[in-house]
Amino acid sequence: MSKMNRRNFLKAGAATGAVLAAPSLANAGSHGGKHGKIVIVGGGVAGATTARYLKIGNAELDVTLIEPKASYHTCFMSNEVLEGSRKLSQIEQSYDGLKSMGVKVVKDSVKSIDAKGKKVMTAGGSTFGYDRCVVAPGIDFKVDGFADVGDFSMITHAWKAGPQTATLRKQLEAMPDGGTFCIVAPPNPFRCPPGPYERASLVANYFMHHKPKSKVVIIDRKDKFSKMGLFTGAWKNLYGYGTDKSIIEWRSAASTGGIDSISAKDMTVETLANGKEKFDVINYIPAQKAGNIAATAGLTDAKGWCPVDKTTFESKMHAGVHVLGDASVATKMPKSGYAANSQGKVCAAAIVALMAGKEVGTPSYVNTCYSIAGDDYGFSVAAVYKYNAEKDIIAGVKGAGGLTPGDASAEMRRREVEFAYSWYNNICKDTWG
Amino acid sequence: MRKSMTYALAAGALMGFVSLSSAQAADASASMLADTCNGCHGPDGVSQGPAAPTIAGMNKFYLVESMKAYKAGTNRKSSIMQRIAKGYTDSEVEAIAGYFSAKKFGRVAMQNTDAGAASKGQAIAKDLCESCHEKEGYAAEDYPVLAGQMMPYLKNNLMDFKSGDRSIDNNPNMSDKEKRKKKRALEDLMAKHGDDGMAAVLNFYASRK
Ligand SMILES: Cc1cc2nc3c(=O)[nH]c(=O)nc-3n(C[C@H](O)[C@H](O)[C@H](O)COP(=O)(O)OP(=O)(O)OC[C@H]3O[C@@H](n4cnc5c(N)ncnc54)[C@H](O)[C@@H]3O)c2cc1C
Repeated sequence: MSKMNRRNFLKAGAATGAVLAAPSLANAGSHGGKHGKIVIVGGGVAGATTARYLKIGNAELDVTLIEPKASYHTCFMSNEVLEGSRKLSQIEQSYDGLKSMGVKVVKDSVKSIDAKGKKVMTAGGSTFGYDRCVVAPGIDFKVDGFADVGDFSMITHAWKAGPQTATLRKQLEAMPDGGTFCIVAPPNPFRCPPGPYERASLVANYFMHHKPKSKVVIIDRKDKFSKMGLFTGAWKNLYGYGTDKSIIEWRSAASTGGIDSISAKDMTVETLANGKEKFDVINYIPAQKAGNIAATAGLTDAKGWCPVDKTTFESKMHAGVHVLGDASVATKMPKSGYAANSQGKVCAAAIVALMAGKEVGTPSYVNTCYSIAGDDYGFSVAAVYKYNAEKDIIAGVKGAGGLTPGDASAEMRRREVEFAYSWYNNICKDTWG
Repeated sequence: MRKSMTYALAAGALMGFVSLSSAQAADASASMLADTCNGCHGPDGVSQGPAAPTIAGMNKFYLVESMKAYKAGTNRKSSIMQRIAKGYTDSEVEAIAGYFSAKKFGRVAMQNTDAGAASKGQAIAKDLCESCHEKEGYAAEDYPVLAGQMMPYLKNNLMDFKSGDRSIDNNPNMSDKEKRKKKRALEDLMAKHGDDGMAAVLNFYASRK
């Protein structure tokens, strides 16, 4: 499709499309200010980025962000907290930056969304009308029938950072040298595909330096995983992987035959192949779905995720509601922080245009995801994306992106750690201000 | 194609959606493209550190040149930019470069620099670097801004010049005279001042507020 056609089309569309533009124009300002009111559910990466970029795009927009937590702990770099090289306070982000831009940050939890009546109701009893609603609740967990872990206080998930991260770190610190730490890795799709393996690596690094007789066992619910070659390569280089001295053991779903039970009472994981095994510390990362509010609001599909128009992130279920970040189906972007940040900018630009009665521009997206496997040992995956209308996917630009080469020099691996830290500081600033 | 879009439009209207964007791809705006870079380079291209460089306020041609070099992979090695740069067309690179060059080079990252080394570096830089990186590295007209750039980034690049991973000889944008001048300055830096001298120069530029 040439640009020329696109322009002609839009011109034609402008005449016949008056009906289309009308709702947004009519609604602009009907719920707050003359420029329109946006209510954002969730102050994680996707929600906070959208809030910031809405204000950057049009400072006059009335933007309210509802988030139950007083501050946010990033999942990214939380594996370094487990390793002991970073403090919990070093992954904490405040909402002051958003407030200083004029975003109204409300400490509350959204209980329901009335998409027809265009309002959001909170647990605290407040109601917020909106012209456009942005839902970015991240993930929640599916109930895996075999798991008996109660409130995750004995067996953690630590897949939402904060108190869970602190608990798991304490358990690892309290574990005797010679103990075994088990990570149960989730089935696809899930938040941060390389995350469980980075976690295994950094805990192994902690063990190597502080509890050298200890081991990490990953019981996986898949047969392969993200950056697998790079991770196993790192494990060979750093942790003796493949030898009987290896600190890390990875068990594929095929090799265990599946999980039969996980019990917090006796700290066991039972698989078909190995029966009941006792571990000193278990980190069970359950199967995942969109954050609960998404289902309550009728935004999810049968699989528990939210289908959206991938150029605006407007829900395919409810007009006027946008869903992005981990909760959305943004194929082929992974469920990552960088993706959530990138989607926030696309969504904000679309809403700024829609609220002004203008056409939505062409989106552009990027994902870069660093993993740290040990001291001075990092690698990454990157992609630049464009929307492919024919396939309705956010498609990686051919010939670009990809993984760090397996034979990257030690110096390049060291630099990737440096850039991972830079990425952390920059994306946090870009998200929360 | 036109037919399918009309259909998409009609379907959108039926479902009450206002988005026109299921239609296909005009070029993304400069800000849309550039915003995707901020995740690593910082808001508006001003890096919070420690290593990813600030790209705001750089000379536009230098930014274009760098992206092209990453894309071609012939005279500038990198960990990640050679994978990212390939994702953009020449006109998109132009747009991104134009966007960041119009922003202000910010010096916001907390950099740990050594005052003693920095003052030693000031003298060396005046002698060897100033004729290209003018105004103590603040100038952005002909060469990249060095003043207040991230120290690990500066160091990595100096190492790459030394090893040839960032090749002066293969840089298509430098005249032979420029190449000779730059190579001589780098050789002098290493021969006359050694590792300490290099560290001093890095401290000098990184410490500029
Ligand atoms: C161990 C680990 C490591 C990771 N490392 C990386 C990495 O290196 N790079 C990377 O790019 N990504 C990484 N990620 C992934 C990244 O953290 C997520 O993809 C990202 O947080 C998704 O953003 P989000 O906004 O969709 O969800 P979240 O960031 O989880 O935000 C959701 C927010 O919504 C709030 N919320 C939920 N329900 C409601 C409600 N009803 N009302 C109001 N608010 C609500 C929550 O409190 C939360 O603050 C990692 C993840 C993990 C677990």
